[in-house]
Amino acid sequence: MTTPLIAFAGVAVRHELPGAADDAIRYGRPTPAGVSFDVHPGEAVLLLGPSGCGKSTLTLTCNGLVPQVVTARMDGAVRVAGRSTVDSPVPELAAHVAMVFQDPDAQVVMATVLDEVCFGPENLCVPAPEVRERAEDALRTVGLWDRRDDDPARLSGGGRQRLAIACALALRAPLLVLDEPTANLDPAGVEEVHALLRRLVATGAHAVLLVEHNLDTAVELVDRVVVLDGAGRPVLDGPVRPTLADNADLVAELGVWLPQSTLAALRLRDHGVDLAPLPLTPGELAAALDARPALPPPLAPPAPPPPREPVVRVSGLTVRRGGVPVLHDVDLTVAASELVAVVGANGAGKTTLAQAVAGVFAPPRDTVRIAGVDPARSDGRTLSGLVGFVFQNPEHQFVTGRVDDELAHGLRLRGVAAAEVTARVDDVLDRFGLTELRDRHPFLLSGGQKRRLSVATAIICRPQILVLDEPTFGQDRQRAGELLGLLADLHRAGTTVLVVTHDMQLVADHATRVVVLADGRVVADAPPATVFADAETLARAGLRRPPLARATGALVNHPEWRAVTRLADVPAGAVAAVRP
Amino acid sequence: MTVTDLRSYNPLVKVLGPIPAMVVAIGSRDPVTPALFAALALALLLAGGRLPARTLGLVVAGTTALVGVMTVSFGAWTDPALVDHTHALVRLGPLTLWSGALENGLATGLRVAAVVLLALVSGLTTDGADLVRAMITQLRLPYRVGYAGLAAMRFVPRFGQELETIRSAHRVRRVAGGRGPVAAVGRQLGYAIPLLAGGMRHADRVSLSMEARGFGAHPTRTERRHVPFRLRDVVLLTALVASALLLPLVSGGPR
Repeated sequence: MTTPLIAFAGVAVRHELPGAADDAIRYGRPTPAGVSFDVHPGEAVLLLGPSGCGKSTLTLTCNGLVPQVVTARMDGAVRVAGRSTVDSPVPELAAHVAMVFQDPDAQVVMATVLDEVCFGPENLCVPAPEVRERAEDALRTVGLWDRRDDDPARLSGGGRQRLAIACALALRAPLLVLDEPTANLDPAGVEEVHALLRRLVATGAHAVLLVEHNLDTAVELVDRVVVLDGAGRPVLDGPVRPTLADNADLVAELGVWLPQSTLAALRLRDHGVDLAPLPLTPGELAAALDARPALPPPLAPPAPPPPREPVVRVSGLTVRRGGVPVLHDVDLTVAASELVAVVGANGAGKTTLAQAVAGVFAPPRDTVRIAGVDPARSDGRTLSGLVGFVFQNPEHQFVTGRVDDELAHGLRLRGVAAAEVTARVDDVLDRFGLTELRDRHPFLLSGGQKRRLSVATAIICRPQILVLDEPTFGQDRQRAGELLGLLADLHRAGTTVLVVTHDMQLVADHATRVVVLADGRVVADAPPATVFADAETLARAGLRRPPLARATGALVNHPEWRAVTRLADVPAGAVAAVRP
Repeated sequence: MTVTDLRSYNPLVKVLGPIPAMVVAIGSRDPVTPALFAALALALLLAGGRLPARTLGLVVAGTTALVGVMTVSFGAWTDPALVDHTHALVRLGPLTLWSGALENGLATGLRVAAVVLLALVSGLTTDGADLVRAMITQLRLPYRVGYAGLAAMRFVPRFGQELETIRSAHRVRRVAGGRGPVAAVGRQLGYAIPLLAGGMRHADRVSLSMEARGFGAHPTRTERRHVPFRLRDVVLLTALVASALLLPLVSGGPR
């Protein structure tokens, strides 16, 4: 056995608890708790675990950022190239461990792509000619050599994240650690980064430790998986395929996200169709389904809601920003009780459309009507009763110092009687699970709680339509899942929803209709199954099919299965009576 | 010929060299001295700036407009008692525009224009990173400070965008503003908390990313681009300092 590049031995990290009344520092429960494993040269390891189990924290221990820079108490030891990460200064470990973080914007220091890549090796005092050689090598690997003189801010999200990977490669560190590198990217960007990671892993030149929520692709990239439970304790460690396939139930029970293809297979297994060995990727699921002589019919998707009166009517909307057209002649109607998803690549005009619909800025006259009201001619108070808007970052829209004031704010502005304000605030606090936190400052809530509060403030005035701008951006899979559950509940209860998103599985599972934007124009407006069957439009709009649609779309047999895109349409549950 | 390209000069010379000239220009009372400094700066930019026509046009038009506006407005503010021995050019009700007042305004406008143009000599021909490199090499500024400052500069446009988003988010919540200065201050404070929270989180992430890339590993770091201090820099520096001393004499000295 080779010597490990990194060795975790009983690693447990406790973060400081905020808000102690006295000055004593208190620590929370350890996450992760007692993690021990090694990563050897050439290995690609996927780290899985439910939200809050300490995956990110564990990646930060790899080069000593925890506990040296991020204050926390660490027990156990992490050794890199034989050195303890507690005693060796973080920057000195950069030659051994390179890191890529979630937010590509927060990793840019210099003014050009080339300078950015050179930044790391220069810090390590690599001689100038070699710095240049390394930078060229790294930029060619990620396909950005031709953009070397550009400002990093001019790259796409996917491009910036590839740049961050190039910066890591230029350090020539044998271990590459990536923490959710695709969480902030649009579908095309996710594919770019995954294609790059696939090439990097295939060369075997680097060992990789990857935290990634996009599992259907990630499982193809790695050869080993380490699974933590909710308390941050290691429960599984082994080759990716058998480990996940043999322990799928255990992993799902832990609250760890499984690949969509595996989830679909698990539903079928409950239904009496055992696709052993369990498929992990869309390709495997398609092959396994095709290999069966017969399949139970897929469940029929719920009938589209009967046509109702339109809530939003957009006609001939053209918007220019700084002389550049962002939206061209857009027509869109949203009827009551629809859940419409607006999708498209970065810069396609999604946010502008959502903001016009919600009256965040005044659209040109006579182009938008919300319940018969033209936002260009109405005052803010009327509008806020008609539309609730949820911004990408919940913190941006908090305007008071207490959770309950935050909820009461909109009602009070609209002159609702005090007794009714109290009743409605209490009701919403209860529905959104925020009652215990009512006297907290909104900024002191956890990420998921902030998100719930921002949705709650948007719906408490009982708007006709709820508009959300990329509500799952930058969140981990589990928190995104919670939010989607919340939206689905609101939608079932009759709220009309318009959501801007990059999350194609969200679209497939929850949307009643999809509006696809490309370069400021509507290029498709149809139910999800129809849109995901249209490869040409998807490619043109820079979109990708969600995993399940990729699997069913590739089927050769079972034509009735080819249009299945919703996990909920895969038959599940025992079929006791008809089973032979 | 790189000798005629201001970009090939040491950034420190371009930033610090014009300072004596700026001081003298501000201290002058007549219109000729600042006009000469402005002309000198403009000549430097024209000869060695290699600026795109658009930028050059903006600089010339902008400073001319500045001088024009300041001439008239400062002219109108000048205490009439000081200038009522000069010609009365325009009478508008109780207001009289004296030629002496206009001359005063012109001098003020030219002083500001001279300082602006002298600052633009470095501003338009210097890369921020090069200035930092020169400060590290020639002024022995610790590189940790210099590069951290450079990283911080990248926050500025980001802050602008973020502030814009926060404003529209607050508009959507229809923050009960009311009118008047007190309400306006309250609104600005309301933007400050989310802006600071976002800024701190961003700064935190940037610093983690910098440390993870070896920032601060060694007392020095490789500089691929060396910013030299050459003979031409000595010449330019001498010329700039000399101009600060000589131009007032040319214009007849301070009155």
